[in-house]
Amino acid sequence: MEMIRGYPDYMRESIEKVEKTRPQRLKATFKAMTLEEREQILNEYHPDYKPEAKRDLKIGPSKGQRLPHEVADLLEAHPLIDPDDVDLSRVDYDCDILIIGGGGAGTVAALWAHYSGVPVDRMLMTTKLRHGDSNSMMAQGGIQAADRPEDSPPRHYLDAIGGGHFTNKPELVKALTMDAPAIIQWHEELGVMYDKDDKGVMMELSGGGTSRKRMHSARDYTGMEIMRAIRDEARNIEVPVLEFCPAVELLKDDQGRVAGAVLFNMETDQYYVVRAKAVIMATGGFGRLHIQGFATTNHYGATADGLVMAYHVGANLIDLDSVQYHPTGAAYPEQIVGLLVTEKVRGLGAQPVNKNGELFVFPLEPRDVESANFIRECYGRDNGIITPTGMKGVWLDSPMIDDLKGEGTIRKNLAAMVRMFERFGIDMTKDPILVFPTLHYQNGGVEINDKAETSVPGLFAGGEVEGGVHGKNRLMGNSLLDYNVFGRRAGINAAEYVKKVTPGKLSLDHARKYEEALKNAGVETDRKAPMLLPDYRGNHVLSRALDIF
Amino acid sequence: MTEDIKTRMIKVYIMGREYEVPEGLTIMKAMEYAGYRFIRGAGCRAGFCGACGTIFRKKDEYKFRTALACQTPAEDGMYLTELPFVPANKAEYELEELTSEPSIIVSLYPEIARCVSCNTCTKACPQDLQVMDYIQASLRGDINQAAELSFDCLQCGLCAARCPADIVHYHVGQLARRVYGKYVLPRSQHLKERNDEIKAGAFDQEMEKLTAMGLEQLKKLYTERDIEK
Amino acid sequence: MKIPYYPGCTLKTTAKPFEDTTKAVSEVLGIELLEMPRWNCCGTVYSLASDDLMHQLAPIRNLIRVQDMGYDRVTTLCSMCYNTLEQANQLVKGDPEKLEKMNSFMDQEKDYTGGVTVVHYLTLLKEMGFDSLPVKNPLKGLTVVPYYGCLLLRPEEISIDNPERPTIMAELLAALGATVVDHPYKLECCGSYHTVDYKEVVCEKTYHILSSARKRGAEAVVLSCPLCEFNLDFRQKDLEQELAPMPILYFSQLLAVSLGLFDALGFDQHYVDPEPLLKEKGLLR
Repeated sequence: MEMIRGYPDYMRESIEKVEKTRPQRLKATFKAMTLEEREQILNEYHPDYKPEAKRDLKIGPSKGQRLPHEVADLLEAHPLIDPDDVDLSRVDYDCDILIIGGGGAGTVAALWAHYSGVPVDRMLMTTKLRHGDSNSMMAQGGIQAADRPEDSPPRHYLDAIGGGHFTNKPELVKALTMDAPAIIQWHEELGVMYDKDDKGVMMELSGGGTSRKRMHSARDYTGMEIMRAIRDEARNIEVPVLEFCPAVELLKDDQGRVAGAVLFNMETDQYYVVRAKAVIMATGGFGRLHIQGFATTNHYGATADGLVMAYHVGANLIDLDSVQYHPTGAAYPEQIVGLLVTEKVRGLGAQPVNKNGELFVFPLEPRDVESANFIRECYGRDNGIITPTGMKGVWLDSPMIDDLKGEGTIRKNLAAMVRMFERFGIDMTKDPILVFPTLHYQNGGVEINDKAETSVPGLFAGGEVEGGVHGKNRLMGNSLLDYNVFGRRAGINAAEYVKKVTPGKLSLDHARKYEEALKNAGVETDRKAPMLLPDYRGNHVLSRALDIF
Repeated sequence: MTEDIKTRMIKVYIMGREYEVPEGLTIMKAMEYAGYRFIRGAGCRAGFCGACGTIFRKKDEYKFRTALACQTPAEDGMYLTELPFVPANKAEYELEELTSEPSIIVSLYPEIARCVSCNTCTKACPQDLQVMDYIQASLRGDINQAAELSFDCLQCGLCAARCPADIVHYHVGQLARRVYGKYVLPRSQHLKERNDEIKAGAFDQEMEKLTAMGLEQLKKLYTERDIEK
Repeated sequence: MKIPYYPGCTLKTTAKPFEDTTKAVSEVLGIELLEMPRWNCCGTVYSLASDDLMHQLAPIRNLIRVQDMGYDRVTTLCSMCYNTLEQANQLVKGDPEKLEKMNSFMDQEKDYTGGVTVVHYLTLLKEMGFDSLPVKNPLKGLTVVPYYGCLLLRPEEISIDNPERPTIMAELLAALGATVVDHPYKLECCGSYHTVDYKEVVCEKTYHILSSARKRGAEAVVLSCPLCEFNLDFRQKDLEQELAPMPILYFSQLLAVSLGLFDALGFDQHYVDPEPLLKEKGLLR
């Protein structure tokens, strides 16, 4: 197989067709779908709409909810620790607020709890990987906030709730959109380098499903730039952080309130008992469950631990039947399959085209609709491009961006993307890149209200672990916003809550009851949860592994 | 064609020990294939978090090379190891009390004056940043350039681990960017105005109406909204 | 004339008036200063240890950047930068083995060939001819002494003039219309970096240099080094002996005044403000 500038020769033939149609496409548009057309294509082609991929949950407060098998498997699993193995009489850490998760939501919660009067030595942040290792770090495209005169929070509200197929909880969408401009201003105070012109006017772009340009970005490292700044701030005020110490089970007190957690040091196998007046769950999403076998854009630790722990203590779940597939995951080369190609590439003007160089969809439909169109093009109409490893994808015609916005725009605004492909010999400023939908985001989660409270007293949640904000589909730029808005609200409201609470006797009875419920529901399994980390060891190793050390 | 790719095996040496892994994997996936299950050394797996800083050597070379394990293909004959942690010093400061005067960075990180321009940091950077240049810019108080040149830094720490002068480049860059973002970049006026409007309740009524609105009416409003080109 | 310009760190911070006035002057004289797009610290002090090549990397890397720009000359203002760059240059020109070792270490750069010359800005002016300077505002009635310090003249191999009896600055100042007096301390060291830890050493030097200049009728001291400027100017506030305030000026500032360029003089960045003196002489607008 001869390789020419990163692509095998047979793919080059298709690229030539893309180049041929480019001049006329530079002026062309494609009609956006009506609500009816959207519904039809989702039903036919979106992975979420396959009934056989889901089942009804057998136990717990959200019993009967329809969930992907991979999620139901974790909820219908034995708690990872045996309550009898844990000595709750010795408390290792005693604090006001325990924050579980060291990504965006957890860090924002810590900062705002601190601003609200909780001293840092009365909080503890614990995280499975390093502080900052999270999907928050990876978001590239941007963060929405309606701050231009021609835009407004109510308009942002309408876009978000329409994009979510009108299933979002209104109070949460209201909080999301009304808090947004204040979040951006807070970031400015922290020194986040947003893209602005020399007068300070934010350079804002469109995203899928937005009716105004309201995507704020920091080149294509938006998530990283925000995460770096808030983490630096947390380090400056000395928020105590335990790294590589995931929580494995929440603790309740004798009044049924969440009152701490059991942590597990993954490097020494030691457990720690934390007593806390309030717990903020900020563990992120479930991308690493590889729902329906999809590759994912998510970081290594996105294994739904928070969902499992919250469900063990009886928190309601919401909208977990819906999974976000990002339309543009890398489909070639093999080494980066599934990694995110930011929506900003389309925001800047790149069009999705098929193997014949034809534009086949409006480039900025909401993500689920765009994804369904890509899947139809590849599998319904057989217009996809097949990679050497047998995967299918469609072209994203990136070189158009420099044609539209001027030479150098791609390198300046999409440095991370250019770098990712350049490492494998592909120059996206000259050649299109191949994409296919990839598992991106957990739309639903632990249900919260606009105070970031879950249905269980003492348990707050912010970020991807919680649900209700986005309904059945999230718009681009609303996830960075979500973790900021609800991380902040969780921090503020938890700070208020701890003023009037004294934890009672700690207990793991809920884990025992969970075991009973499994038994009563007839679930027979050796699965345990939370899973903590996925296992990618080779089969030749796993098939001969001994668990003796 | 597909079969060939799947079955061709290469030899790699993970911390000195030989393993056979399929060709075409990244260093990270090759180590996993060989049986390593990461606790440290894997984060975003997509080149954004800097958790998988790696030191390696290629077949028949004397050079230590550095890269991100998740973004670099494993090659036949490679010697591999990951860097679990960099015990780097970070200055603590209150951003509110800083200014953008030229001496600000060197006052918090005086060790940058020890830079001898050997450029080892630049060679170590998996993002191909001009690391030495941004340290030099920091030294002469050019905060703009320090912020610009360090912007794509993932904070993997390979620069600091390789520096003969014990400089912690990635923390220096972080400070430069925050000072630049807060004190040099102009503030957004329209953002401030919008927040004033929100505080004054300018959108409360409209929002009240929307949150209470029936589904059919909401759908109609959504469908009929104009879209900015 | 186009020539790459190496600024040096100090000229971007505490010695800004030195750079600003030179830029203004250069524009009038038709010298197009091409500020190097990439440069690093000169190395600050030339390393005298013969085996310490690590400290020679900084200056040589800057010369590679000049080479990358496609030029064979670079000009600079600060005496320290001039000295460090040109001494390192001489070292590698005379020792191919050391050059090869450094080139091999800097393997991500193009090899340095030894083909760049470092030219101090005073030398550049002299080449053009001091008499050809378009003086509009002659420094009539102003009595000055030039102060060379160490770094422009020593060691001999890199000296911009006769190392024992330099005249280059005196010639320039005379061409600008000033009255130039000679004085015995013009080559004296100012105390250099002792200013950080041994302030008293520098104060003593400052007192001797300035009181001698004063005795010979000088109203201002003219120099080419930001560190000398700092020591002679700012240490006046720490003197134990009585001394009437003596303005210290970069040659480029007086050059700017004589060419009628008053916009970027930067007198507010001095300890002893030269403005009253120049006003008294009717030299400022």
